[in-house]
Amino acid sequence: MIGRKPWVPWIWLSPSLLLLGVFLVYPVIDTVRRSFLDRRSDEWVGLDNYQFIIDNPQSLVADTHGAIFNNLLWLVLFPLIVVPLGLVLAVLTSRVKYEAVAKSAIFIPMAISFVAAAVIWRFMFVFDSDIGTMNALMVEINEDPVAWLQDQRSAQRAAFDIGPEEAWGPIQINNFALITIGVWMWTGFALVVLSAGLKSISTEILEAARVDGANEWQLFRRIILPILSPTIAVVTTTLVILALKVFDLVWVTTGGRFGTDVVATLFFKEAFVVRDFGVGAALAVVLLVAVVPIMVLSLRRFQFQEEIR
Amino acid sequence: MKYITDTWRWSSRFAMVTVLAAAFVACGDDDDDDDDATNTPGDGGQVQLGEVDVLGIWGAEELTSFEAMVEPWGGTVNFTGTRDITSQLTLQVEGGNPPDVAAPAEVGLFQEFARNGRLTPLSACEGLEDLIRDKYPESFVELGEVDGELYGFFMKADSKATIFYNPGLFEENDWDVPDGDSSFDDLVSLSEEIRDSGTVPPWSMGMEEGAGTGFPGTDWIQQILLNESGGDVYDDIVTGEKGFDSDEMKDAWEKFGEIALGEGFVLQDGASAINATNFRDAIYTVFEDPPEAAMVYIGAFGSGFITTQFPGIEAGTGFDFTTFPGGDVTGGANIVYAFNDDPTTCDFLTYIAGAEAQQIWVELGGFTSVNEDVDLEAYPNDVARRLAEQLLDAETFRFDLDDAIGGGLQQAYFQGVTQFLTNPDQLDQILQQIEAARE
Repeated sequence: MIGRKPWVPWIWLSPSLLLLGVFLVYPVIDTVRRSFLDRRSDEWVGLDNYQFIIDNPQSLVADTHGAIFNNLLWLVLFPLIVVPLGLVLAVLTSRVKYEAVAKSAIFIPMAISFVAAAVIWRFMFVFDSDIGTMNALMVEINEDPVAWLQDQRSAQRAAFDIGPEEAWGPIQINNFALITIGVWMWTGFALVVLSAGLKSISTEILEAARVDGANEWQLFRRIILPILSPTIAVVTTTLVILALKVFDLVWVTTGGRFGTDVVATLFFKEAFVVRDFGVGAALAVVLLVAVVPIMVLSLRRFQFQEEIR
Repeated sequence: MKYITDTWRWSSRFAMVTVLAAAFVACGDDDDDDDDATNTPGDGGQVQLGEVDVLGIWGAEELTSFEAMVEPWGGTVNFTGTRDITSQLTLQVEGGNPPDVAAPAEVGLFQEFARNGRLTPLSACEGLEDLIRDKYPESFVELGEVDGELYGFFMKADSKATIFYNPGLFEENDWDVPDGDSSFDDLVSLSEEIRDSGTVPPWSMGMEEGAGTGFPGTDWIQQILLNESGGDVYDDIVTGEKGFDSDEMKDAWEKFGEIALGEGFVLQDGASAINATNFRDAIYTVFEDPPEAAMVYIGAFGSGFITTQFPGIEAGTGFDFTTFPGGDVTGGANIVYAFNDDPTTCDFLTYIAGAEAQQIWVELGGFTSVNEDVDLEAYPNDVARRLAEQLLDAETFRFDLDDAIGGGLQQAYFQGVTQFLTNPDQLDQILQQIEAARE
């Protein structure tokens, strides 16, 4: 009966559509609209705000290129460290008796908010070696203390002693320090999800492979990894999206100073500190456009998995 | 830039605290006693005072003092303190949900709000405008005006022409304390003398302060600028008639660099140490036993940190201040303004603008009032009293440069300082970029 009236489903859908419209669709459209308006959203300025992002005329206060570069750095380094680390830990912890304890210890940082984690790590990174744990360690191994959150020298120089003493970037020490905080927080997530995937692999397959003479490395490379690959993809997607929208960590530790701005912190600053809503909105749109392909990819994969089920 | 107390040091812009500052006072008295302190001027009758939402920057000891100050007032104060007041206030105002009263340090935002018609002029509250015009110094009244209309008043002012030093150390080594009549060159030669004595480095310096990182450097520069180039040039920089890339400004930055980057001048050796050291930690090193440095340049509010960190310290012998060489005074203050003319809001403003309320905080310390009715005897010690006198008696006074400009330019100015320390040879580019951030 109900099926004959095509408008009936819309009645049931209307509350959620309304909520989506008010809290998602409208803000997105309004942000796009504002990105074509001037700093007070009064007059149309065409593509000026996007031109600002491309030309980067205020590289000192609003380093748009730097923010985009840092986002890319997060995008690449963050999953690249977290996923393998989580995978190795998942395999290793599955082989020890105190598995539950080890896993909880690594997972605990996940229970903390980004803000709290950032505050904790600000203490860890304090320059004064009497307060900051990291610099206490540096002094312990007879190295000079490092201004972890302020040091803009290039990390590769600091690590391998290449290049001139005061060379800046592109991969700065302080950005590495920030990504470390992210890794500390999210390795537990990768570990738990991958470990669950690992548990779902039936022991019979593994036994069969062992009987056929496969060693442990081959077992991992030829059986565990392929079976885990959808799970790894899910974890990676989650981390990539996190890396794109990272905000709180950077905001609390450095406020985007010393060349650590990412797109999210920069658009907040432009909109609410500099009070240029045009540039702020344009940056938000850039971020939105960057997230869309990843969303599409993960939705496609989701559909694909549904189909083969 | 205004400092923020220790509790806020590690907190984020999201971490705010809302405090019910005063208990609700039950109102059962119905007779028409016009002398009642809780009456709103202009309404003629008894007004039941409601709640007032105040957005400010105070936390920790300052919040306690603020609570003590508003205690005797009849209504309820909902105070929110955040170090990130510019973005918080912008969010609330743009979102159509402003507080009743705001008390930030920056006047750039205030002027914009006033011009856009977001604020209620003080004349809307009967008697308030006259109170301010009668009892507050002319220079502070003018700063509260936008297009001839008075929108805000200043409280809790701080001189920034103050160098704090360790008197014991100066006496022991027979160093001459500089004063307002000295020149900047005298300050440099004193620094050399102290460095060459082999005791301690002359200066302690720290720039780190979350969203305000770099502000001690901007204070140095504005103070040097006012002394060396005078009030007219200073005003031109604020209004934009002269740029940050002008010769006078460049000279002030270079002089600041002479001290900050002078060989052996600063305890925190090198740019990254200065940039990474919190400004409070930099203050403490001068008054520790044994002291690690001889002097620290910080606004008058620095005295509050010293007395809190070292509870038994004697003002005058344990710590003291002297006027920055040159004698002219820059300084900051909290500007108080309202978003409506609700009777409760008006009554609250009239209360805290008055001498009686401010005297409560003055006695508790760390507060300099510009209301002339506040008794100089009320200040808790000699140093606090001299700080107040320095501010009130200054021949040339200018409002904090970075708080006067505000917004993106202020941010650029802050970041410029830390970049200058790291790369002093890029000064020309840095100054041009700061100027480019002007709206």
